[in-house]
Amino acid sequence: MSELQANISGIIKSSVIDGPGNRMVIFFQACNLNCLYCHNSHTIGLCNLCGLCVQNCPTQSLKIDASNKQIIHNASTCTHCDNCLKNCPENSSPFYKKMTVEHLISEIEEVKDFISGITVSGGEVMLQSEFLKQLFISIKTHPELNHLSILVDSNGNIDENRWNQVLDWVDGFMLDIKAYSSDVHKKITGHTNEKILNSIRYLDSKNKLSELRLVLVPGYNNSKEEIETISGFMQSLSPEVRKVLIKLRKHGIREKYHYLSEPTQLDIAQAVEILESDKHKLLVI
Amino acid sequence: MTNIERKENQIMEEIKNRVRTILTDGSLDYKQKKHHLAYIAESTQSYPEVSAEAMTALNEKVICDLFEGSAPYRPRYILPDYKLALKKGVKYLELDPPTDLDEAINFLSILYAHVPSITGYSVYLGNIDQLLLPFTGDLSEEAITKKLKLFWRYIDRTLPDAFVHANIGPEDNVIARTILRIERELKQVVPNLTLKYDTDITSDDLLIEAAQTVFEVAKPHIANHKMTAADFKSDYGVVSCYNSLPQGGGSHTLIRLNLKKITDSHQGNAEAFISETLPKYCQITLDIIEARIKYLVETVNYFQNDFLAQEGIISLENFSAMFGFYGLAECVNQLMASSGHNYCYGKHEEANQLAHRILEEMKKQVDSRPLPYCEANNGKAFFHAQSGIDIDIEETAGARIPIGEEPDIYAHINTVAPHHHLFNGGISDIFHFDETIKRNPSAILDIIKGAFKKGMRMFTFNLSDSEFIRITGYLVRRSDLKDFREEGSRYGSALFAANSMDNADVDKRIAKRIDSHERTAGQY
Repeated sequence: MSELQANISGIIKSSVIDGPGNRMVIFFQACNLNCLYCHNSHTIGLCNLCGLCVQNCPTQSLKIDASNKQIIHNASTCTHCDNCLKNCPENSSPFYKKMTVEHLISEIEEVKDFISGITVSGGEVMLQSEFLKQLFISIKTHPELNHLSILVDSNGNIDENRWNQVLDWVDGFMLDIKAYSSDVHKKITGHTNEKILNSIRYLDSKNKLSELRLVLVPGYNNSKEEIETISGFMQSLSPEVRKVLIKLRKHGIREKYHYLSEPTQLDIAQAVEILESDKHKLLVI
Repeated sequence: MTNIERKENQIMEEIKNRVRTILTDGSLDYKQKKHHLAYIAESTQSYPEVSAEAMTALNEKVICDLFEGSAPYRPRYILPDYKLALKKGVKYLELDPPTDLDEAINFLSILYAHVPSITGYSVYLGNIDQLLLPFTGDLSEEAITKKLKLFWRYIDRTLPDAFVHANIGPEDNVIARTILRIERELKQVVPNLTLKYDTDITSDDLLIEAAQTVFEVAKPHIANHKMTAADFKSDYGVVSCYNSLPQGGGSHTLIRLNLKKITDSHQGNAEAFISETLPKYCQITLDIIEARIKYLVETVNYFQNDFLAQEGIISLENFSAMFGFYGLAECVNQLMASSGHNYCYGKHEEANQLAHRILEEMKKQVDSRPLPYCEANNGKAFFHAQSGIDIDIEETAGARIPIGEEPDIYAHINTVAPHHHLFNGGISDIFHFDETIKRNPSAILDIIKGAFKKGMRMFTFNLSDSEFIRITGYLVRRSDLKDFREEGSRYGSALFAANSMDNADVDKRIAKRIDSHERTAGQY
């Protein structure tokens, strides 16, 4: 088996909100976007051992292990105050772990009787596509796990060759369209969206796009023109793709972005009016 | 006045006072008063003959007879063979076999009113879809719905007891689906409902329909049909609070052992508990069961006199008794603490192992004690993890993990599933889910299927914000609880206990149409 490792920021063994059925969700560390409203901003960056988290820990529960290039966390004294996360200049965390495919497989085996499948999420999982490919092959060729469906939750900011690495093993991809206009996209995420739009079209053409989501951010992507172009783009996709409108929620986003406002009922209603059609139903959550 | 006369006078005065309390209690309606008056009349009789030690255990609630009364004149749980009754008719009630759905519903409605129980209301309404399917003929779904809706309303209004229980499944059919739809629409407390689920027979669609019904009304319970059916010689029903019993028969009595109380008074370690204290109290419990069975069968001659028995709708061979217990969690935690370990049931493997040993020992005691008139289970009692009643303040129901201390769902299932196979008389564990699951009901299917694969016999779940609240095993409506303490409570833990107690308070203030008569019977 492979010796590949991935940076895993967390595992949820029972989730009912990451695809159909009860699913185990594996979160990967590191992302290539930096969205204003990111609720898991500590999964964006990788640790560079700067030690700020260690200095800011009020209970001295963190230590730098220089020889192994990692932060050691003492769970018994940690009070989960999250000072470490708030003070990390890299949007990273001292808690993510390196895990092998074998390790993840044994985690899945524990819950295999209770789940429909697994969902990989992030961070941006596709940055670790080589690892994913190994993981997915191990699942789909495992006699007791091969019935599990595999869903990938991605930001789509990925070249086509990376999709091709995993395409055959994945049941569906769930992507976001954060904006259609490249300028708006850059304001929200720090990056332009050409690659993302291509990814959405490409995965749809391969019948692998299961869900497309739009997070409504007032003042950014809720202008009539923006929503109309997004709507046009959505209508060009297969009706089978589940379309979801998500209200921006301020809970859990970084303090410096607290100036963002949550959409009103009216904002939502106006967006739904434009986005929904007979053929393309919209789920609002 | 002699001393004896003085004592008799005193007893008479006490009875008069108890009667007066009931007559003037504004929280009871007419029928409830009659039920309680009958209980007092019954209590004037001497208890079936048991040892002084057993009597003390009963008085101190170390062993609890769940207010069955001191002179059993009807079995506790009766599961009439409604299928046979529909086929043969009932002479006593001058009922001919029905020929269409209207007649079948009318037939059952009449018969239900005549089935005895401890509560005065039949605890079992039958595997209702199987009973009614032969009568649907070419009726449209609309016509069936109308008739069933009226039937369901009749049941709720005339059998207003939360222990009245109907079964559906395992086959997917129009009646089962219609009942689930009606349940969601009418939102009644009665009847309680169980879906018999069999992976090979029941469709995923029906199970999803059932899950969606749970989201609305916290029922049905999902029974592992294959596993339960294997424990019975012929058909079974799930009645009252998760009691699985033979159809055409039932259980003479249910006596439950309070494991917490016997642990309180136990001197010594866990080994001594398992080898001495536990077997001793199991045998006393079984003594009480035996005495009550004999009283019912030999003194009251119930099976010679009642029309159900005379017409073969029930028969003595299909009866047994139920040995129940509660407070396993407290028992285990106390034994662990007294040996210097801070291990808790549901959290630590050591505690879970001790729990399993205690259950195995009880099962052994029950299975090695022959009892009269218990042919339905080859002369032995059914073993039952009793799901508790409101008076249980310090004890956790049956073998459940205490409310608020439940581990994550998988650990919870993995803790309890290994002992479910022991309980041919039924067991229950309640799981709580967040509201988000409503958008993804197939997640529930995954978990139920996984739980049954792990050997669970019964799966009951609630939504955290449901209008229906399950108290131990039966349901109440949130809106029926006037002073429900909602603020600041995350569902599941403290809230549940609060419900129980709030409910008891509500009982004292206003008359409630629907009650859990089993629980209130002994209050006066």
